[in-house]
Amino acid sequence: MSDKPVDPMAMFNQMLGQFEQGFNAMATKAMGTEDFAKVMNTVGGASVGAKKSMGDMMERYLATMNLPSRQELTHIGERLQAVEARLNEIIAILHRAHPEVGGLAKPTAAPRPPRTRTPSSGPKA
Amino acid sequence: MSAGPSGPAEDIGARLRDEVQRAIQRSIKGVEYIASSAPPVGTTPKDVIYARGPMNLYHYRPLADEIYRIPLLVVMATTNRGYVLDMAPGQSFIEFLLKRGYDVFMLDWNAPRPEEKGLAFEDYVLDFIPTAVKCVQEDTGETDINLCGYCFGGVLSLLYAATHARGALKNLVCFTTPVDFREMTLFQNFSSRKHFDVDHLVDGVGNVPPELIFASFEMLRPATRAVSQVHLWENIWNDEYVKSYRMFDRWATDTLPLAGEYFRQTTKRLMWENALYNGTMTVGGRKADIAKITAPVLHVVAEHDHIIPYGASRPLIEKIGSADKEEVMLKGGHISVVAGPNAVKRLWPKLDNWLGERST
Repeated sequence: MSDKPVDPMAMFNQMLGQFEQGFNAMATKAMGTEDFAKVMNTVGGASVGAKKSMGDMMERYLATMNLPSRQELTHIGERLQAVEARLNEIIAILHRAHPEVGGLAKPTAAPRPPRTRTPSSGPKA
Repeated sequence: MSAGPSGPAEDIGARLRDEVQRAIQRSIKGVEYIASSAPPVGTTPKDVIYARGPMNLYHYRPLADEIYRIPLLVVMATTNRGYVLDMAPGQSFIEFLLKRGYDVFMLDWNAPRPEEKGLAFEDYVLDFIPTAVKCVQEDTGETDINLCGYCFGGVLSLLYAATHARGALKNLVCFTTPVDFREMTLFQNFSSRKHFDVDHLVDGVGNVPPELIFASFEMLRPATRAVSQVHLWENIWNDEYVKSYRMFDRWATDTLPLAGEYFRQTTKRLMWENALYNGTMTVGGRKADIAKITAPVLHVVAEHDHIIPYGASRPLIEKIGSADKEEVMLKGGHISVVAGPNAVKRLWPKLDNWLGERST
């Protein structure tokens, strides 16, 4: 018989580990069946249908109240982002054409280290 | 060193004292936990050098006096944020690479907007990655590029490499990248062709919501979250444990939605037809057979990966056309393979050795 004192926390952790492994294994087995796939996708499909109907209803309600929907607000955001992207492209083109103009400098314009490193030239990991 | 002989009763007494102290600490720290925000992540200095739609291209500021000639472009998985590779100083793969002299870029993803539900493999493989490669080339003045793909970022990197045979790719590193999708048995059952109507889902919701992606990951190990919360409570007196828990929990729950068309293609082409494994994959009419890839490849897999089981990732090395190819298996799971202690001790130096000699 061991003289090691009983450690309730270690016992609890061991029990918890066993529960986790056992439950995960049991669930994996159950979720691997065709019945599970059928039920999961039936419930999931119904939920998607309900979500779509609710979305359509909300959109009609907001239109009646003369309020923009989330989709419309997102669309405005999208257009603003597109404008920003085009501005960035224009700045990049201007930067290439006139690199001497300070206001057009890229944020990463700091001098880069030389690209001369070899595995033997640096410190060991 | 021993403090001297002690009987079982003294041991139990000492243990009891510890437990009482920890119980008090738990109450104090528990309140702090609820009131405080999660620790910052992804703090290695970087610049966004290109952003469009769901793509964000970062350039990390070099941390070495001398860098390798060939830049490294990391392609993140489309389901999660890239900061898993840059959790905290001293626990950051990106920081390690920078200190070892790599010029590191990352293609990270934003959530696709409702209008972007039509984004498909063609956009990711024939537009976003080539655009990122072009930006890296312009930024560095180098024509050669090393690619490093994590999880589904690895799949996209493989598809890019297979469709751009004469491209800029010099070396390819893949982390836990699935090739044989039949082996992802639970995901196969969730998306069973017989019962899962992917068209109904995508046509109904547009982009696939992050809750659905998160739930399908959680279902792979349904007891683990509850047990990890018990462990958190038990260790809440330990600041380092709590910090680490919060960083990884934040990342795991920070799931991204997937563009509807991209999800539809993933389900039909990869899950149902197993086209990547069978060599029948096409992107935008171009054949994407990984047997045609010739660049040197390093594939890192995890022994206990419950998301991408080894059976799904193993065929990469067997199928890829490269003559210079190697697989490294680490103990650990899908996340710890890139960010855990085993990765820090074993993987990162191994990757440095492999990539360093191929980056000059």
